Amino acid sequence: MSKKVKALILTGDGINCENETALAFAQYGCETKIMHVQDLIDQPGQLNHYQILALPGGFSFGDEIGSGQILALKLKYSLGVALTEFINQRKLIIGICNGFQVLVRLGLLPKPFTERQMTLTHNRQGHFINKWVSLKVPESKCVWTKSLQGKEIQLPIRHGEGKITFAGDQATQHNTFQALVANGQIALSYTEDVNGSYQEIAGVTDPTGCILGLMPHPEAATSNWLLPDGTAKKSEQAFGTQFFMNAVKHCEEML
Amino acid sequence: MKTTYRFEIYPNEHQSFAMSLSETKLTEWFEKYCNIKFEKLFKANYFLLEANEPIPEIDTYAKTILTDLVTEVLFSSESKNMDMISYLGKRGFSNPVLCDISFKPGVTDNSAQAVLEAFKLIPDLKKYELNVASGECYFLQSTVNLTDAEYEKITYEKLANQLLQKVIIGRKDAIQINTRMQAPKIVEVLSTSHEATTINLNQDEQTLLKLNTDNCWALSLEEIYFVRDYFKTLSRNPTDVEMEVIAQSWSEHCKHKIFASHIEYSEGELPNHMKKLGNFEVNSLFKTFIRGATEKIKADRNLNWLVSIFHDNAGIVRFDKNVDVCIKVETHNSPSALDPYGGALTGILGVNRDILGCGQGAKPIANTNVFCLAEDSFFKENNIKLHSKLKNPDRIAEGVHLGVQDGGNKSGIPTVNGAFVYDHDFVGKPLVFCGTVGVLPQTEHNQSTAEKRQKAGDYIVMSGGKIGKDGIHGATFSSMELNENAPASVVQIGDPITQKRLGDFLIEARQKDLFSSVTDNGAGGLSSSVGEMATYTNGAIVELDRAPTKYPGLSPFELMVSESQERMTFAVPKEKIHQFLQLSEKRSVLSTVIGEFTNQGQLLVRYQGKTVADLNLHFLHESLKPMQLKAHIDTLSIETSKASHWLKGKIKEAAKSASAKEQLLSLLSSANIRSHEHLVRRYDHEVKAATLVKPFTGTKEIGRHAPTDAGVIWLHPHGGEQDNAISVSCGIAPQVSQFDAYEMAVHALDEAVRNSVCVGADPAEMVLVDNYCWPDPITSQKNPDGAHKLAQLVRTSKAIYDLSTDYGMPFVSGKDSMKNDFMADDVKISVQPTLLVTAMGRVRSLNHMTTSEVKASGDLVYLMGPEQLTDFKKQLELYKSLHKAITLGFVKSAHDVSEGGLAVSLAEKIMATTLGMEINTTLDLFKESAGRIVVTIDKAKQKDFEALFVSDLTFLGTVTTTAQLEIKNKLTVANTESLNAYRIKAKGDVVPQARQGVN
Repeated sequence: MSKKVKALILTGDGINCENETALAFAQYGCETKIMHVQDLIDQPGQLNHYQILALPGGFSFGDEIGSGQILALKLKYSLGVALTEFINQRKLIIGICNGFQVLVRLGLLPKPFTERQMTLTHNRQGHFINKWVSLKVPESKCVWTKSLQGKEIQLPIRHGEGKITFAGDQATQHNTFQALVANGQIALSYTEDVNGSYQEIAGVTDPTGCILGLMPHPEAATSNWLLPDGTAKKSEQAFGTQFFMNAVKHCEEML
Repeated sequence: MKTTYRFEIYPNEHQSFAMSLSETKLTEWFEKYCNIKFEKLFKANYFLLEANEPIPEIDTYAKTILTDLVTEVLFSSESKNMDMISYLGKRGFSNPVLCDISFKPGVTDNSAQAVLEAFKLIPDLKKYELNVASGECYFLQSTVNLTDAEYEKITYEKLANQLLQKVIIGRKDAIQINTRMQAPKIVEVLSTSHEATTINLNQDEQTLLKLNTDNCWALSLEEIYFVRDYFKTLSRNPTDVEMEVIAQSWSEHCKHKIFASHIEYSEGELPNHMKKLGNFEVNSLFKTFIRGATEKIKADRNLNWLVSIFHDNAGIVRFDKNVDVCIKVETHNSPSALDPYGGALTGILGVNRDILGCGQGAKPIANTNVFCLAEDSFFKENNIKLHSKLKNPDRIAEGVHLGVQDGGNKSGIPTVNGAFVYDHDFVGKPLVFCGTVGVLPQTEHNQSTAEKRQKAGDYIVMSGGKIGKDGIHGATFSSMELNENAPASVVQIGDPITQKRLGDFLIEARQKDLFSSVTDNGAGGLSSSVGEMATYTNGAIVELDRAPTKYPGLSPFELMVSESQERMTFAVPKEKIHQFLQLSEKRSVLSTVIGEFTNQGQLLVRYQGKTVADLNLHFLHESLKPMQLKAHIDTLSIETSKASHWLKGKIKEAAKSASAKEQLLSLLSSANIRSHEHLVRRYDHEVKAATLVKPFTGTKEIGRHAPTDAGVIWLHPHGGEQDNAISVSCGIAPQVSQFDAYEMAVHALDEAVRNSVCVGADPAEMVLVDNYCWPDPITSQKNPDGAHKLAQLVRTSKAIYDLSTDYGMPFVSGKDSMKNDFMADDVKISVQPTLLVTAMGRVRSLNHMTTSEVKASGDLVYLMGPEQLTDFKKQLELYKSLHKAITLGFVKSAHDVSEGGLAVSLAEKIMATTLGMEINTTLDLFKESAGRIVVTIDKAKQKDFEALFVSDLTFLGTVTTTAQLEIKNKLTVANTESLNAYRIKAKGDVVPQARQGVN
């Protein structure tokens, strides 16, 4: 193939997983560019050159107020137009951990350009947790999980604010959840309660399946060597890598 | 007209009215430590926003910025839109008391900074001059009636730090009428500066000593006389700025005077178990035993991979074809004693800056941390009342843990290795060791990245945070014992986001070749960073009034020695300054030209056009003569030292467990062995996706709850070779010091090495870092046994020389902290002499990586290592043999034998798996000695494996499918029992809960 898929990975203001996120895309022959948020704000037109936008994990603005809140404000006020265009072209966006929190606070998940219905708040335990967890990947519209749907996978979580909460009273929350299920927008859920998240949701996609937000870190499960114990390294699979493979493949077909 | 708003953030009506888990835990804390039961506790955050004129529609903006519309509501002083009593009523409060906590003026307020930035993002608000402060509201309700003073006191016990924060108590009526909303105000920082003055040193001894104390110089009388005589030759008196620069440059913290001193060491009669060293003189412990060891090893082994050692902020070594790695470990004990959270946070951020300031700037890739702490329960169990000036040791533990957690996590640096060590003597001063590993390309722009290249004529640029009063006298302070009058300004709070931006900017600027040199602004502030950099070019001129300040009112000397955090000093060639400042601005990093490097031999400091310091660099750095000290140890000094221990006769004898099984379970749950998983999992240990061996291991089914021996970091994601990694491990054994400081050092060093060898590092490519934390070893009236402690220092130093040279593992960096004593009234609490050794080894292939847990039934279990570690050369051969066995693929698991001895090590290897062991041995199951490792190997490789070892190899038994440890005729313990004992404090924290929401 002559044309290569291009992924833009944002950095700066406390984002800190840009390097491994770029490496994860690069594994599949994707051309990657790590760009400081400010450089994109200075020239928003650059976004046109990319098929994939990644908001990596980190502690943007130190996670003061609410995690992802200030970076979301910054993107909203200075990149709103460019982002809208990017989404309307059905290009791919992934927000991992803090990036997920940013997407949610930007109002892009679960459905772009509608009133906000969900948020990510403090874990039930009230503190940060780093551990590997098992996840179910349901059938969904999500482009990113295509090859994983129906499987149970393992990824690390590393967050203090990963509890998904919906707006409104219990009935409203339930309706929102049911609508997401019906729509194929639940992209990932924990096999057990790890942080108090509503119905153990770990990842959500938008109605087109192009935008994925998830709390676990697929970019930290891209090699067997990174699996969490000696036996796993020899005999299990590093599932994280498939998120990036699916995205790059999808874009290659669109080129 | 200046207007201030107050915004409080509360959960909305759809959120649970019950207490959160964190709130419940707080009530449990108060019940346990203050004996007060709060039936209700509720926390909310608030912000004060000050604007130069009223802002129309401010509530709308505030809602957008400060609240999460899905879950929160805003209570604003503008609209006074809430009835607090009815709101709190829904949460079960009938008689709430408010503890309103705000920062004292001038204290770093990270939340406020972030919120200020957020307000400035709103286009409509750009025209206003804004200022923000943050605070916390705690609503409490107790069945007992407490006075305001009592509420204030308990708030300072747990929720606030008196040095940094202010508490206002509000009763129900004040909450009802919203008193705090009436006229909110941000307290201004009031400070007056004074001009530089001259100080007359031609005065009597008493006056000079008073000056010394009043100014926190921490100089000796001899040193003051030396300064006086020097200035006599210049026919003038020093200025206060000059005295401050001298005092901090000559502080123990910066100059390491004890390690540079000339010591006469002598021994009297010693107990049999102590190694006799004879009498000798040593000219600088550092040069003789530490750098001396490295030089000998470098020559003996003809090493070519030591790139830069001892003269930079961190040691740099070459363990990869593409990148170099560097390592540094620091302590932050005194600040952590005063403000555990801030002390530990600035500790970790500080050592990160050491890495950023190493060579041309390295990128931090991993953190380590070791805490030496005391436990409140120990004192309770022994009915010992602690001095009122001492902080509750459990609160210190919570604070330092949170500090390191925030420092590492928010900076995106994984915490890959560490330890928690408990001993009652750490109640006076906790020891907080923070280490960082970094990477840098070997060359960039066709030049080595390990070198500093500043030239006369380069600008001096200060980047990062602004200067405030925080941390003034930090360097000299840490060189003093902790006393009742310690100045509050020594406390600093770190600002991870400013530092993250600074670090990212630094690496980008290095890649763009925009500066010639960089160093950290650590202890001693500008005085230290500029002073050190100036020695390369032989001079510098600093224009102090250019330095940006947090608030007005800083005197010149304060600008020079303030230790305000998150600052680095750059040397920038004049032709690159424009580009440098431009990039800095784009990356939201404050950079200011504050002077230039010269070659005139002087450190010249000006303030508002006047010269306030003009110091000769040779005088400042080279003129001080080494101290002459005497060290002596004998049975009498050992007895005297024991007899004067502050807890002598007050500690109850521990009851001995009856059976071997009980003994094992009691060891597994003891303070220095039990799991700290609930704390360690709050550190991000795998950000950057390069942590190969993580802090815990085990199987998916049981949960990864068993300890590993060392962190292993893959170099490939950091630009290194595909199949290459490094190990990072530590060793520490303060409890051995009471027997012998030589033995203590052997334990510490060997443990660090052993741990790295266990995970697959090559003993032929391993480097060490030493960190000493000692009680004051200088004899004085207050410290009569100084010579004994100095002798312990000599013995430890000799031990690490002997061991490192025999192992052929060089020291590449190190640090010492020499005054770890607490003194108030008649109480003196000194830490046990403590040495932390950190080892970094090369794991030559990822296939060599070995973890501690057993892998398959039928595998064979072996113990290797001597009964007593005395023959160091032989021990190295053992490690080499083990490494050979690992590289040949014989070894399935390896785990060191340390605290608790053999049985603990065996239990740890199986308890987080579904496998077990059948062991048959006559060895002592609980003996703790250095140098031993338990491995499991593939049965098919038994012959080949055994052939690799000449001696010190004992067959123990077999791995089985029954999940239990069975030691024939001695004990049988199920894995679940071991794991339960081991996780005694770590359980119940991350357990699943019933599903939330409607099914």
